[in-house]
Amino acid sequence: MATDTLATISLSKEKQSSLDRFLAKGFPTNKWEEWKYTSLKSLNDIEWNWNTSEHSVNSAALALENTCEIQSQNGKMTLIGSLPQGVEYLDFASFAAQKPEFMQAFNERNPILDQNPLYDLNDALASSHQVIWVKKGVKLEKPVLHTYFASVSIASAIQIKVLIYLEEGAELTWVDDLASSEDSKSILSNYVQEIWVSKNAHLTFVKTQDFGLSTTHVDHTFIFQADQSVVDMFTFSLNGGLIRNNLHFYVDGQQVISNLNGLYVPSNNQLVDSHTVVDHRMPNSESNELYKGVLLGNSTGVFNGKIFVRPDAQKTNAFQSCKNVLASDKASMNTKPQLEIWADDVKCSHGTTTGQLSEEALFYMRSRGLSLDAAKTLLMLAFVQQVIDKVEIPALKESISSRVVAKIQQALSV
Amino acid sequence: MLSITNLHARIGEKEILRGINLEVKAGEVHAIMGPNGSGKSTLASVLAGREDYEVTEGAVSFFGKDLLDLAPEKRAAEGVFLAFQYPVEIPGVSTTNFMKSAVNEIRKYRGEEPLDAVQFLKMFKEKMAYVNIDQSLLSRSLNEGFSGGEKKRNEIFQMAVLAPKLAILDETDSGLDIDALRIVAEGVNKLKSPDNATIVVTHYQRLLDYIVPDYVHVLYKGRIVKSGTKDLALELEEKGYDWIISALVD
Ligand SMILES: Nc1ncnc2c1ncn2[C@@H]1O[C@H](COP(=O)(O)OP(=O)(O)O)[C@@H](O)[C@H]1O
Ligand SMILES: [Mg+2]
Repeated sequence: MATDTLATISLSKEKQSSLDRFLAKGFPTNKWEEWKYTSLKSLNDIEWNWNTSEHSVNSAALALENTCEIQSQNGKMTLIGSLPQGVEYLDFASFAAQKPEFMQAFNERNPILDQNPLYDLNDALASSHQVIWVKKGVKLEKPVLHTYFASVSIASAIQIKVLIYLEEGAELTWVDDLASSEDSKSILSNYVQEIWVSKNAHLTFVKTQDFGLSTTHVDHTFIFQADQSVVDMFTFSLNGGLIRNNLHFYVDGQQVISNLNGLYVPSNNQLVDSHTVVDHRMPNSESNELYKGVLLGNSTGVFNGKIFVRPDAQKTNAFQSCKNVLASDKASMNTKPQLEIWADDVKCSHGTTTGQLSEEALFYMRSRGLSLDAAKTLLMLAFVQQVIDKVEIPALKESISSRVVAKIQQALSV
Repeated sequence: MLSITNLHARIGEKEILRGINLEVKAGEVHAIMGPNGSGKSTLASVLAGREDYEVTEGAVSFFGKDLLDLAPEKRAAEGVFLAFQYPVEIPGVSTTNFMKSAVNEIRKYRGEEPLDAVQFLKMFKEKMAYVNIDQSLLSRSLNEGFSGGEKKRNEIFQMAVLAPKLAILDETDSGLDIDALRIVAEGVNKLKSPDNATIVVTHYQRLLDYIVPDYVHVLYKGRIVKSGTKDLALELEEKGYDWIISALVD
């Protein structure tokens, strides 16, 4: 078994206990409720290098006007350029030393980790734990760009762990440009982000996932929100062999706004699994979730959206919508909205749809001169545009649009 | 330009067109009338290339080409245009974006250079005047939430943009009040030239006061049972269809 080699790695006591937790469970299989459609069992068949020192260079990184750039190459993080005033980039131990009051909250954070052993694997093996710290009232106009790239010549597991901390009234746009090379050997990309958004702070987080087919990416994003904070989260799953996104919002304040936007366009035999949780633990807050998918080729999509409204979370407004187009009869989509509401005075709604492109619309468009493929492409792009249009960075919006179009066109041409 | 001979078409087991013959020459306006369910929309759809209908017999030639052999988009590129009786709503696609794609696909088919944004702007502005349509309507999702009149005007706007050789208007008058009807008819008339032809499908004579036909045909149970000049339309208005139908020996 591939995980056997893990036993030989020597670790600190805490990391060893994380590793033991992972080893006790192993990679999830579809016998697990939360992994019903997304087995990682085949990862057991690969001889993983658990600690790569290979270098990689990303030549196709996104061009954005940014405040600064943080590069992660095969898991190694480097800050490029200088940080603006009021922002710090430091390791977790130094951060903890400077912020003892935060550490208490951090230790009590209680994320929902059942059936998520890859979080423990990340904790055990991540070589660094970096923190981006935006100080009180600091508002960054331009985004911080995180370019994450992987390319290896022997199968490697890559761990990245970051913590983003916004103090009161801070504003940050974080762009996660995640990619791996098309011709790389197998990659297990395992990425943990813990994000703290203090009172009145505003975070916009745009994540693009554009991996090669040999990449399995598992994403864990935990967002803790305090009073009156706003988070606009975007997850664009554009390409990759298998992508599993675990996105958890913990609404720990009042008048909080949490917006979850997602878009996935798997093709071939790709799989994109979006597991989201919005945990309303305080009253008077609002969450809006909009996920859209176009499923091409033989691909599989999974959406599991949980909304918890705890007994204290009266006057919660929680909305969820997941809409999908099956662009081929070999594609499939599995949706499971899960609302668990313990408070009585709340407004919640959810809706999932999975359909095909309208034949009527296709004929109408063809009768005006569009080829069948052009008509399909236009309809599919129109279908997902609503999500793309919410991104407020024009260059990023265009880049996402054109990658979606290219992906659709490529899938239609086979 | 268009020559239909002995056209039969069916959907499932049901034969809907049962031997249509029609000749249309450049510069002509033909009206096709007939009671509901007689096959008018089916004829229009078959000409535009809708695949739900199976052509079982007969031929259609368009400028000497076998029209039935062409995909719908090829027919459009060859110059066929159908204004739908029920224009389809296309969420998320604006009329302008849709027309840009359509025009440039057709230009590609014809081996012409694509138009750029400035050229489109100029062209759209010119064509908008034909049907008195507003830019704000053209920026909205195509047909979504449009009133009946807006949908029909939008169809004629698209016709103006695509400048077809053969325009087939399927019940373009239905659901229009008299002002909207006049605007639509004026648009169609302005687009008329000695090089193109129009087939107007309607079951009211009303539209023909504005778009004056050279020929009027009565379609009944999938056949053209009577043809004449515009006077036939007036006669139908006065006497209904029964006198024609009862004279038929089936
Ligand atoms: N998709 C269809 N499936 C079954 N029957 C159809 C379909 N389309 C048309 N028909 C039938 O064909 C006949 C002709 O319809 P249509 O061409 O729409 O007539 P018109 O336009 O003259 O009112 C009608 O009896 C109608 O019910
Ligand atoms: Mg009809």
